[in-house]
Amino acid sequence: MSTHEETPVNVPAEGELYGYLAEYDTPGELVEAARKVRDAGYTDFDCYSPFPVHGIDPAMGIKRTILPLIIFAGGFTGAASGILLQWYCNAHAWTWNISGKPTWSIPANIPIAYELTILLSVFCSFFGMWALNRLPQVWHPLFRQDRFLRVTDDGFFLAIEARDRRFDTVKTKELLHGAGSIALEPVYLDPDPRSRQMPKWITAFIVASTAFALIPFAIAAKARNSHSSEPHIHIFPDMDFQPKFKSDTEADMFPDGRANRGEIPGTVARGWLEQDETFWHGLDNGQWTTGFPKADGNGQPFAVDDKLVKRGQNRFNIYCSPCHGYDGHGQGMIPERVKSLGGVWQARNLVEAPTADGKGGVVVQMPNGQLFNTISNGFNTMQGYAAQIPAGDRWAIVAYVRALERAQNASRDDLPPGSNF
Amino acid sequence: MSALTKSLHPDEKVKAGKLGSTMMTAGAVIAAAFLIISLWLGASHGDHWKRFLYAYVSGWAYIASLAIGMLWLVLLHHLTRSRWSTVVRRIAEAMTGAFPIIWIAGLGFVLPVAFGYTDLYYWAHPDAHNAALNPAIVHKAGWLSPTAWALRYVIYGVIYSGMSYYFAKTSRKQDETGDPALSTQMRVVSGPAMILYAFTTCLMAMDVLMSMAPTWYSTIYGVVYWGSGEVGAFSALALIVLWIQRNGRLTHSITEEHYHDIGKWIFSFTFFYAYVQFSQFMLQWYGNMPEETNWWKYRMFGEWQWVSIAILACFWAFPFVFLMSRWTKRIVPSLVFFAVWQLVFHWLDMYWNVMPSYDWTVAQHAGVAVNLGPLRGNIALHHVGFSPLDITVWLFLCGVFLLGTGRGLSGNLIPVKDPTLGLSLAHEQL
Repeated sequence: MSTHEETPVNVPAEGELYGYLAEYDTPGELVEAARKVRDAGYTDFDCYSPFPVHGIDPAMGIKRTILPLIIFAGGFTGAASGILLQWYCNAHAWTWNISGKPTWSIPANIPIAYELTILLSVFCSFFGMWALNRLPQVWHPLFRQDRFLRVTDDGFFLAIEARDRRFDTVKTKELLHGAGSIALEPVYLDPDPRSRQMPKWITAFIVASTAFALIPFAIAAKARNSHSSEPHIHIFPDMDFQPKFKSDTEADMFPDGRANRGEIPGTVARGWLEQDETFWHGLDNGQWTTGFPKADGNGQPFAVDDKLVKRGQNRFNIYCSPCHGYDGHGQGMIPERVKSLGGVWQARNLVEAPTADGKGGVVVQMPNGQLFNTISNGFNTMQGYAAQIPAGDRWAIVAYVRALERAQNASRDDLPPGSNF
Repeated sequence: MSALTKSLHPDEKVKAGKLGSTMMTAGAVIAAAFLIISLWLGASHGDHWKRFLYAYVSGWAYIASLAIGMLWLVLLHHLTRSRWSTVVRRIAEAMTGAFPIIWIAGLGFVLPVAFGYTDLYYWAHPDAHNAALNPAIVHKAGWLSPTAWALRYVIYGVIYSGMSYYFAKTSRKQDETGDPALSTQMRVVSGPAMILYAFTTCLMAMDVLMSMAPTWYSTIYGVVYWGSGEVGAFSALALIVLWIQRNGRLTHSITEEHYHDIGKWIFSFTFFYAYVQFSQFMLQWYGNMPEETNWWKYRMFGEWQWVSIAILACFWAFPFVFLMSRWTKRIVPSLVFFAVWQLVFHWLDMYWNVMPSYDWTVAQHAGVAVNLGPLRGNIALHHVGFSPLDITVWLFLCGVFLLGTGRGLSGNLIPVKDPTLGLSLAHEQL
């Protein structure tokens, strides 16, 4: 056991006495000492250790913290506000039909509610702990003791404050000593009262950083309420202005003054020969073909079979059904959404049969080649799909649409003989 | 003498004495009685033992999860150099000592499948391998074949039994020699053992439970099974510890601080179970892929939805809210209430995993009647169809579990020379 240092040389005995600081060798001895101090009736004392010590709270006679209740309240608020937020946004203020999904659905709401529960619990736990401990505290009399610096490393300390009504310069010292302290020293307040105030630079920093944090909001508020003819700021000018020509713009460096360079006469870009006019353009001697191509783009035979129709169904369901519907009646998910928003619009009915005098049934009466061309290049508000769907798949869709037309306009005579429907 | 460690109380009774044989006798009597009742009920159920075997898988998954859960505690204890759990570790080791007997009892449903019983696991049924009926099962035939499946069952049993044997034996060796190097040795082994444990548990859950619905896919299923099992395992631990203390052993060593920690684990896994179960559900519900949602469809609608709601309310919501408090875990009667409660609803969870697959759909295909297996067809035709067998087979297997656990309750009930014992005895919550 080391010798007691009653008046350490490094801290002048000046100012008012704050209390006594005792050091103990192990966390176990600290707990024992705390128990003795508690039993002696002291209340204004505290223990300091580098890590949480099991059992220190009851040894010190500290009543249980109310922090769990604060966290529970925070968590509950998080869960409730998460549910309320989603109900308000999705089911009340801005109902939006997304692929026919319900606007209000408990399973979909749980992740957000859960995350908000966690977020608010953690906030309440973190800031509640600060508030209950009266943090941040930038100044403490114990900071003046050199010995106390080891409290974040391997020192275990107990300090009894002079304001405790049982404090007595002799008896208190005896108590701490008797509890097995390895060092005991008085702690004095700094006589300069300014040392107990928040340093000015910290106050200045908080004020300045708060003001600084408000600048973006101020700029946003200004922008919302004013007009400006200034060009916007380019943060990365070499990305905004790249040294290249965009298509269909002017270019001085070429004799014809165009940025676009045409094909060199007598050449075809790789993969763009598109020699077979039926396969690539749906034409047969300059007229829309009524059949199917004889060969695919590579000269291989083009088979119109079950496999092709199945492929066509798969592509149709992906690309065409959102507007035209799975059954081709033009009532897909997008017309449904238009309807849910109060509008009236439906896509072309692909399977509508013509009347006896040949009216209506536009698609049914359309030659295969024209249907292919419509899929490739679009029609009215329908965009062209040539860039998204390869030509072979577009033909597969044509085949499937033909099958769909048969199926949707089927009569009893179409059934194989012997069917009992 | 520091306040952070203690030595064993001089009056403490640490020897098991006849406790182990008492528990074994009780287990054997329960097992024998309920086996006879179950066999009688099973034979008279009129479905060629199908209900009996379904109840068997459900009950077996239950008792296996208790031992698997406690093996995890033993591994975690060594891996993290825990100290609160030193005083209950020997009891956890006893519960893991039940592995060989549990695996022998499991032969009750493994052998029929291995030798040609086709009505328990649909993948063992010839119609499952008809590519026109079941394109989603055919490619799994290599993994889900009775021989490969039974072989894997044996491998899982050997791995679990071997691990539990190693840790129990080394721990008892330390009782004699007091060599602290044995603690280090177990800590070194516990790392790889934990990885092996994780793979074994996931695959075991997949083979025994998940393959009941062979078309279904879920990569988190093993974790959900394990989480549910931990709830049951810690609940069982609390009850066994209490029973040992009521018999005058360890009355000074295990305090409310240790009960509090066991209660914390019950609470944590109650939440963990709900978390992973919901993760599994929500991703599949949102993804809306037929091969995934099918498993849920029969649990979300029809009769089974009430069982699903019961699990949500009773296995999660109620205990979650009440175990949140410090006092429900520290006051022993309250902890006992929740332990018993969770043991019952852990059973319901296992039941809910297994039994919806009981109703198989038969249909006409190419002019002949074929078996389409579980979770097919009209939801309204799928019944909870509770039978007394579901309870009696479970109780028989609980008897088997007690028989296996009692075997390990011998000699010292506490690792008397473990270097962390002093810390564990003096353990207090922050």
